[in-house]
Amino acid sequence: MSYSYIKPRKKSAITVELKFVFVFFGVTIFMLFSVYGFLSFKGYRFSKESERIISKQKHLENSISKMKEQIAFIEKESMVAEQIHTKNSVLKDSISNLFDLIPQRITLSEAKLLKNGLILYGITPTKDVYNFMLQAPLRSIFTKTYSSFYPEKNGWLRFVSTNYVEVENDMFVEENTDEN
Amino acid sequence: MKIKISRPNIFLIAISTFLLIFVVLFSFLVLIPKGKEYRVQRLDVKKLNSELRQYQDYNDEILSKLKELQKKNRHTITAFENIFNPDRFEKQNKKYFLSLKLSKIQRTKKYEESFDTYEVNTTSKISSPESFYNFLDSINKSDWIISVNFPIHFKRDKDVISSSFTMKVYVVSKDTKKIK
Repeated sequence: MSYSYIKPRKKSAITVELKFVFVFFGVTIFMLFSVYGFLSFKGYRFSKESERIISKQKHLENSISKMKEQIAFIEKESMVAEQIHTKNSVLKDSISNLFDLIPQRITLSEAKLLKNGLILYGITPTKDVYNFMLQAPLRSIFTKTYSSFYPEKNGWLRFVSTNYVEVENDMFVEENTDEN
Repeated sequence: MKIKISRPNIFLIAISTFLLIFVVLFSFLVLIPKGKEYRVQRLDVKKLNSELRQYQDYNDEILSKLKELQKKNRHTITAFENIFNPDRFEKQNKKYFLSLKLSKIQRTKKYEESFDTYEVNTTSKISSPESFYNFLDSINKSDWIISVNFPIHFKRDKDVISSSFTMKVYVVSKDTKKIK
């Protein structure tokens, strides 16, 4: 027996309004999670990029410091080579000056150039020639000068002139850097 | 007046409120901090990239300076790395001497920590001091870094001059080569 003229409709727990709410919040939550996912992915990419940049920076730092060492060493090599070349040139000038110092009338038989001195062996016609023409310029260069004479059979004199300097910057003093 | 709210509506309001609270909390507690973090990371990466560019520029600058120095001092660098070869030295310099003999190549103390030095005793015969001056000029252009040292001994032997002197050859020490 029926008590109503209409047919009963099915009742569901999920109404139209509820569906609308679910769709709305579903879309919202989906968008929120998408943004979160995007930010997380970007954050990961940024941290990887930072690591790469920092590692490259360290590599460049090492490379720069290594190149700086190389530059310093080349500059040192250049400086040492320059010093040595200058020393050789000074030595050449010193020897040239020494031979220019010897007057025509005196003949040298031997010369010893020492670190801080000069020893000359030779023959002179007279003591005066030696004293005026050789000893005088030698005295102006060296601080200590000793001379000894031995007579030759022909009347000339064989001499030995020993000269020393005490100051270090003399032309016959070898640079002391070798000893350091 | 009594407001009657049906049970489905109460359910709807409860669900909506819960989802709204979730969205708000998620946004403020997770998404916004994440966004801030993203912005900070983006700025950091930008800053790091700019620093990297500066490093790269500086590296390029140092590299070009190094290349230029290497080019300018190529002879010196090679000369310091060459191992002294007495036969080659004699061959290269015999034109300045009537005879040239090298002996006693011995290692001496280090020079400036980076260089090894070898001492070479030399005996020779020259026709005039000019030859010796030319020799001193030529060793500054030779394949090795060489300095002529005291004592230098010249002795007249009929028409020729016998000379003996020591030379110091400078080479880059093995320890320094390892560092390079």
